[in-house]
Amino acid sequence: MINFKINKTLIVLITFLIFFISFNEAKIDTDEASIKIIFINTINNSRIVLNDSIYTNPFNEKYSISKLRYYISNVCLENASDTFKEHDSYHLIDESKEASQSFSFSVPEGRYNSLQFLIGVDSLHNVSGAQTDALDPANDMFWTWNSGYVMAKMEGNSPASKVVNNKYEFHIGGFSGQSSVLKEVVVNFPPATEVFKAKNTYTFIIDADINTWWQNPHDIKIADHPVITTPGINAKNISDNYANMFHIEKVITE
Amino acid sequence: MRRGIRMKKGQITILIFLFVATFTLLLGAGKKDRADLYINATTPLKFEIPAGWPKPSSNIFASNPLTEEGFQLGRKLFYDGRLSKDGNFACASCHQQFAAFSTYDHDLSHGFHDQFTTRNALPLFNLAWKRLYHWDGGVNHIEVQALSPMTAPNEMAENVDSVLLKLRKDTSYVRMFREAYESPLINSQGMLKAIAQFVGSMVSANSKYDKVKRGEDSFNNAEAHGYELFKAHCANCHKEPLFTDESYRNNGLALNDYLKDYGRMRITGDPADSLKFIVPSLRNVSVTFPYMHDGRLYSLYKVVDHYRKGIVQSATLDSSLQKPFNITDVERDELVYFLHTLKDTSFLKNKRFSQP
Repeated sequence: MINFKINKTLIVLITFLIFFISFNEAKIDTDEASIKIIFINTINNSRIVLNDSIYTNPFNEKYSISKLRYYISNVCLENASDTFKEHDSYHLIDESKEASQSFSFSVPEGRYNSLQFLIGVDSLHNVSGAQTDALDPANDMFWTWNSGYVMAKMEGNSPASKVVNNKYEFHIGGFSGQSSVLKEVVVNFPPATEVFKAKNTYTFIIDADINTWWQNPHDIKIADHPVITTPGINAKNISDNYANMFHIEKVITE
Repeated sequence: MRRGIRMKKGQITILIFLFVATFTLLLGAGKKDRADLYINATTPLKFEIPAGWPKPSSNIFASNPLTEEGFQLGRKLFYDGRLSKDGNFACASCHQQFAAFSTYDHDLSHGFHDQFTTRNALPLFNLAWKRLYHWDGGVNHIEVQALSPMTAPNEMAENVDSVLLKLRKDTSYVRMFREAYESPLINSQGMLKAIAQFVGSMVSANSKYDKVKRGEDSFNNAEAHGYELFKAHCANCHKEPLFTDESYRNNGLALNDYLKDYGRMRITGDPADSLKFIVPSLRNVSVTFPYMHDGRLYSLYKVVDHYRKGIVQSATLDSSLQKPFNITDVERDELVYFLHTLKDTSFLKNKRFSQP
């Protein structure tokens, strides 16, 4: 009698064990596609070279680039009815750190028409206190006297600049009201890649044309604006320009 | 019967083994959240709101749960000179407890390489009731405030990574970070949240004024008359019980030609904010001299006299100061007597906030 009772308990326990083991297994999702996004910062279709290359902007001003960083956040894939948002989606693309220029995540199998993201850090995370990882203030992309993230940063030298050491310096930020520089970008997928199949990896090579910063819709001449490091109309104008910098160069399916 | 019991014992051993195995697997299922494996060893602290006070305008501890371990880590950081480049400037060097955590007897404070700061150090207390920080409201969260003095070249002159390297070399920090966050990580977020726990816990609500309000004490005649004058002339901006309405106002101080400090306009870019600064709390005001954003007025008598006959007209002057205070010299002194009742000795001497 006792033996029978215990055996019954044993059966229940073993069932539990099997259940938890299989539950663990089930966590590895098999119906997801992997998305990898690679940003390549270019000028005239060539990857930029920090410090040593001299470029020419649309106003015939020569310039070099010593620092180039920008935030990409709130990355989503969209279709007609659904949005899939990357979890904890904050990336600091830094031209001097190759590892920062790509990131991966997985999405449920299905049809998606476009990739969407924000250039910059959404306003909520500008007022949420101390953050980590890409949003760590140690990344030197956080204003300490006027709280908020520098959404995009470009620095270098240009003979057109009349400030110290012919420097030019753009620290583009501002997250609220009229001075907000937050830009939503929608990149449509080429029709052939709209269906994302499970277990496949889709690598998007996104070209970021840095020469867009200077023009369209606003003319930004280094001679006129060598230093833009506070929120306001000039920062806003540059963000209107760089909102056009991205396009999908190619998609690799593996 | 004997045989039956023996068998039962054997079965029980198997049962225990299976229980343990199941439990281990259960824990394993949550591998992503390693924190679950730690038994929560922190000691939660309750943030007390003084009776009759409004609720804090933003819950500064909502994403930074207040614990004894976090508080003590913040306390150690607050008093640690290693947060500055040359080791000389802890937070506490400009925020002295006996001066209600302002800089005693200094119009401007000192920083790295014998440099002056550009503004009078604000006292620290009742910060949980603030929405924005600094004289110009440029800092929007208590957790990021410490970054400003830490990285300013004329204050602590450090950078975050360098401070963290110093902390990681100190085994007492390794232990205290682990105790506060149950993780071996020493990062900027942990450091900043701990400092926020320490300074955010500073509450001053036990002055003579508070005791009078609670019926435990009473004003003398001069103080009582001073309180009436205060309510008539000052309480509009220095609103009870916090003695500030947290607004930004131009109180008629002439622009300092050297500092050229336009206050809140620097943050908002709006000319309507020119020469506006936060209305500071008057709690503990008798120990926070000198006064105003650049410490230009050395006594409370001078402050009251400014409102009586020193107001400088300008486009953004506060509407409530268009007409000077019409009070006598005796009334001025009575007003100052009342302001002295806002000194909270139990806060100024509270061992919880002193150097560990």
